[in-house]
Amino acid sequence: MVQYPLETDDDLFFRLRKGDEQAFAALYRRRQGAIYRFAMHMSGSPSAAEDITQEVFLALLRGECGYDRERGTLSGYLFGIARKLVLRNLERGRSDVALEGDEDDAVPRELAVTDDPLAGLTRHETIEALRRAVQALPRRYREVVVLCDLEELDYADAAVALGCPIGTVRSRMHRARALLLEKLNQERKPRLSVEAWKPMRCAV
Amino acid sequence: MNCQEFWNAPPRQGRNVTPEQASHVAACAACAAQWECHRSLGAGLRSLAEELRRVEAPPRVEAGVIAAFRSQARSQVRHSGLSWWTPVFAWASTAAAMTALAFFLLRTVPSTTVKPGTVAAPHRTAQPSVQWAALETPAAADADLDEDSAGLGDGFIRLPNATRIEPNEDVNVVRVEVTGSAMIAMGLPVSEDRASETLLADVALGPDGMARAVRFVNDSGTF
Repeated sequence: MVQYPLETDDDLFFRLRKGDEQAFAALYRRRQGAIYRFAMHMSGSPSAAEDITQEVFLALLRGECGYDRERGTLSGYLFGIARKLVLRNLERGRSDVALEGDEDDAVPRELAVTDDPLAGLTRHETIEALRRAVQALPRRYREVVVLCDLEELDYADAAVALGCPIGTVRSRMHRARALLLEKLNQERKPRLSVEAWKPMRCAV
Repeated sequence: MNCQEFWNAPPRQGRNVTPEQASHVAACAACAAQWECHRSLGAGLRSLAEELRRVEAPPRVEAGVIAAFRSQARSQVRHSGLSWWTPVFAWASTAAAMTALAFFLLRTVPSTTVKPGTVAAPHRTAQPSVQWAALETPAAADADLDEDSAGLGDGFIRLPNATRIEPNEDVNVVRVEVTGSAMIAMGLPVSEDRASETLLADVALGPDGMARAVRFVNDSGTF
């Protein structure tokens, strides 16, 4: 099989548009994981994530594929398609998992968490706590965290994917982080209070 | 830099802190503590990202998209195959349609089956009033355009390259309206100043449907 290790996404894209199957497969293998994970985070459903991933790459094959390198990277374009498909999926109510805290219009108050909620946790505990916290974020904050923190997209690419200005991405990131810290703190406090209980001998 | 400015554009995770941001964190204990939380959160998110990096779409998704790609490639090959012969086909269809239209126009007068030697135009009352170039040029002597060579007589002129009508052949005679330019194109002697006019003519068609001879009828439909 021909490998395309040095080819950019754009090179692969133009090759696949000319019918190069190897280029299409290379682009798919390069980008499918991120698209699948994004769809998984946003839909909460593995089957929906599979469908969305498939649809994203099929969209590249269609004649009316609207990718324009002047507007942003191919990666941002793919995430943008995935996001639209996720929203369509959620609107249809086909999501297998009910999404918690999707009150997107609720603007979180400014938070000032100064105690590190992750201090003292093992790596595994940290990962599990963060996974729950990210999943509990409202959609508009979850998507920026997934794109920018978990998939390490630039703010510019995230803005293309989300269809909003970079400033909006930046402000949502700031609020999303604050919300994450608050959720982690809320989760940690009961644990601390339980740990604070000391076993006592029954006096009776 | 004050606290508001610091949090308006906080340093991105994994990126270098600018000197202004560093000096603010050094000077402001509250922002330093909060920033420490954010750094810890960023480190945790990076761990989560590393953990999740192993998660990928199942192989059946790749199989599905590759199958779709191949299917589309096949259809594109079919389309590209169409692309070169479609214009040819279109031109051929157009030519056929034009021929059919011309044939339809030629059949504006009902045809009658006649025997050689008995051709008689129903309105034959006078000699054609058409001013034939053939009468004015040496081409009139051309054997192909000779009345007698058509084999029908009665003013029929054998068309160039058409076979002579044998005495026992059945012929159809159709009366048509045709432009002088079309007659010129067929090699018949029509003066150029009448090229744009519509003329009446009887066309003798052989059993094979091919035009063999023509005779001109004057504008009033009579010889």
